[in-house]
Amino acid sequence: MLLTSVILVLREVLEAALLLSILLAMSRFLALQTRWIYIALTAGVLGSVVYGQYLGTVSELFEGMGQEIVNAALQFTIYGLLLLIGVLLILNRSGEARYLQLLQWAMVLAVALAALREGAEIYIYLIAFREQAELLQGALLGALIGGGIGFSIGALFYYLLLGLPRRRRLICALVLLSLVAAGLCLQATQLLEQADWLPAQQPLWDTSGLLSENSVMGQLLYALLGYEATPTPNVIAAYLIGLVLMVTLLISVWLKTRMPGVAVDVYV
Amino acid sequence: MKSIRTFLLIALLSTITLVNFIAALHGYRASMEEAQKLFDRQIMATAGLLAALPVPQTGDRVVEENDLQAFQVWSDGGQLLLRSGNAPETQIGQRSEGFSELNFSGFRWRVYSQRGAAGHWIQVAERVDLRYRLADEVILQSVLPILLGLPAAGLLIWLVIGRGLSSLRNLAEELRNKRAEDLSPLTLAAPPEELQPLVHSTNALLNRLRASFERERRFSADAAHELRTPISAIQVHAENLAKELQLRDGGEPPESLAQLQRSVARMTHLVEQMLNLFRTTPEHYPARFEPIDLHRLAREMIAELYPAFAQKNQEVELEGTAAQIQGDQFALVILLQNLLANASKYTQDGGRVVVTAIPEGEQVLLRVEDNGPGISDAERERVFERFYRVGGDRHASATSGCGLGLSIVQHIAELHRAQVRLGTSSFGSAQTPGLSVEIVFPKTINTVNDTAEDIPANETTL
Repeated sequence: MLLTSVILVLREVLEAALLLSILLAMSRFLALQTRWIYIALTAGVLGSVVYGQYLGTVSELFEGMGQEIVNAALQFTIYGLLLLIGVLLILNRSGEARYLQLLQWAMVLAVALAALREGAEIYIYLIAFREQAELLQGALLGALIGGGIGFSIGALFYYLLLGLPRRRRLICALVLLSLVAAGLCLQATQLLEQADWLPAQQPLWDTSGLLSENSVMGQLLYALLGYEATPTPNVIAAYLIGLVLMVTLLISVWLKTRMPGVAVDVYV
Repeated sequence: MKSIRTFLLIALLSTITLVNFIAALHGYRASMEEAQKLFDRQIMATAGLLAALPVPQTGDRVVEENDLQAFQVWSDGGQLLLRSGNAPETQIGQRSEGFSELNFSGFRWRVYSQRGAAGHWIQVAERVDLRYRLADEVILQSVLPILLGLPAAGLLIWLVIGRGLSSLRNLAEELRNKRAEDLSPLTLAAPPEELQPLVHSTNALLNRLRASFERERRFSADAAHELRTPISAIQVHAENLAKELQLRDGGEPPESLAQLQRSVARMTHLVEQMLNLFRTTPEHYPARFEPIDLHRLAREMIAELYPAFAQKNQEVELEGTAAQIQGDQFALVILLQNLLANASKYTQDGGRVVVTAIPEGEQVLLRVEDNGPGISDAERERVFERFYRVGGDRHASATSGCGLGLSIVQHIAELHRAQVRLGTSSFGSAQTPGLSVEIVFPKTINTVNDTAEDIPANETTL
């Protein structure tokens, strides 16, 4: 039970922790208050418990595919928020400090939604062990190990980002946000495949022999780059579309704010 | 980074967690594999034992076994000779030697088949779920301490970092406690290697600062002192010249000579004020604190300076009651002289000056008010700068002065740990709001370093 727990909890915690690290580091660079994180996490955890409680009702929606559809919708919403955050970060770089408030709230919402989605998965998983006392210890221990590894990677990643040289911070944050955002599109597409909203397809390749999704490294790459050992064409298309859309938008905003006369040499 | 301690705690704890948990995970996996091998060897041993037993020839004997294992012994002809109570009557494995995994009796089993010497088949099976759970239970017990040890590790790291940062904290504490004028080197006992450059450069900076202050003070004091003699000589010569001219020509001496004498007087005043300023620098002044009644001292000083007030028809009053402080007589005389001279000098003829000295709780208030032009809010900060004069040169033509008076007052106040406040007079008018200079002295001076040796024990309390 332990190994299953580790992988499941690690996957959920890592996804939320990496997103949180990137946004928190950007908040620090912009000298924003970091108290928002408490609001976001509290809202996310409470939300995930409520979501877990009403899982039955949610699942019955969309002909029994409610959970997948709602989760996919959550992933797409977070993707949209990351897009907004990326654009605001660039605008802020050129001195448009008036967007800081909006940026802050976009961060709160993105982290709260991520915490809600990932927290709900863990909550639903652990709730299932309530009745099986003999498996509970292993499951909890696994959850602790998975959570510990996930949070540790998140914390170290955060300090790594804080140590970035001043001039590279923004570009690194944007690259990371784009990758995470593309990963979200990939996951949402997988959920839609599970819900039969998209046709099931044969995987294009299988790299599980090279790097298993069930290893810590596999999980890290899954959270950071959307690593998938057996991706279907749909999933790859979703990843690429998500990535290209975000990168194009960010580059165009970047170039616009760099127009002569507008460019202000302010780095985040 | 908000706090080095928090950063180190989180970063170290994360590293320890990451490494330990991944190691625990790896250990768990490896131990599970080993446990499975162990169980397999156990099945093989049971099978070997059964093979070594004499083959029963009666058929279907049933032996009670525990839940974990089940076995069957089949004759070469396909007759069930011996089985455990939990084994079915149908054959549970293939007739080929080695391991296989099969389902029967509602569970999944790992089955080992072996051919006996007499050509019979021995099949021993073990429940996969029980094997797994047994191993899991044992191995979890070895993983658990790693998890439970983490809070203890966190606490220890917190304490150790606190200990490691103590010298940094001491340094910060020493710097915080240092008074602005205290330029003595830091006395951190045996600073760690990492802090040594910081302590050294701070001390070097303090030394340079002290040397430069000292140079400046000495130069100005020496210059002022050296100027005294020639100025006195000029004064005497001017006097002599006035007398000689009077003897030779009779009548009034020429106006240029009178101007010369006034300039020389102003210069004498300037040199005296400069000397006073440098003498009263708080870092260098060898203060001798003794109980002094500020009210009485003010009365004496008013009496001494009365001619100046009388000359301008100014009314001067003293209010308040006996007000004792710990003070330096010489410095306080200079302070009062400056305040009174300023009040007289800058207040119009027929003006009014009120001096108040009164105890207020643990403090003593000395206030000098006049109904002269006063000082605007904008200029109040600047009047303490050396050589700064309100209105710039406009004053110079009307009243002699050098712009050092309030700097001297400030020095002497600092020396006594007193606060200087400038405000408008309580009896000024719209055109002449007047100036109020308030100096709040503490009754006793409690300083860590300097006064303890200056004040005799019996005089520390009043």
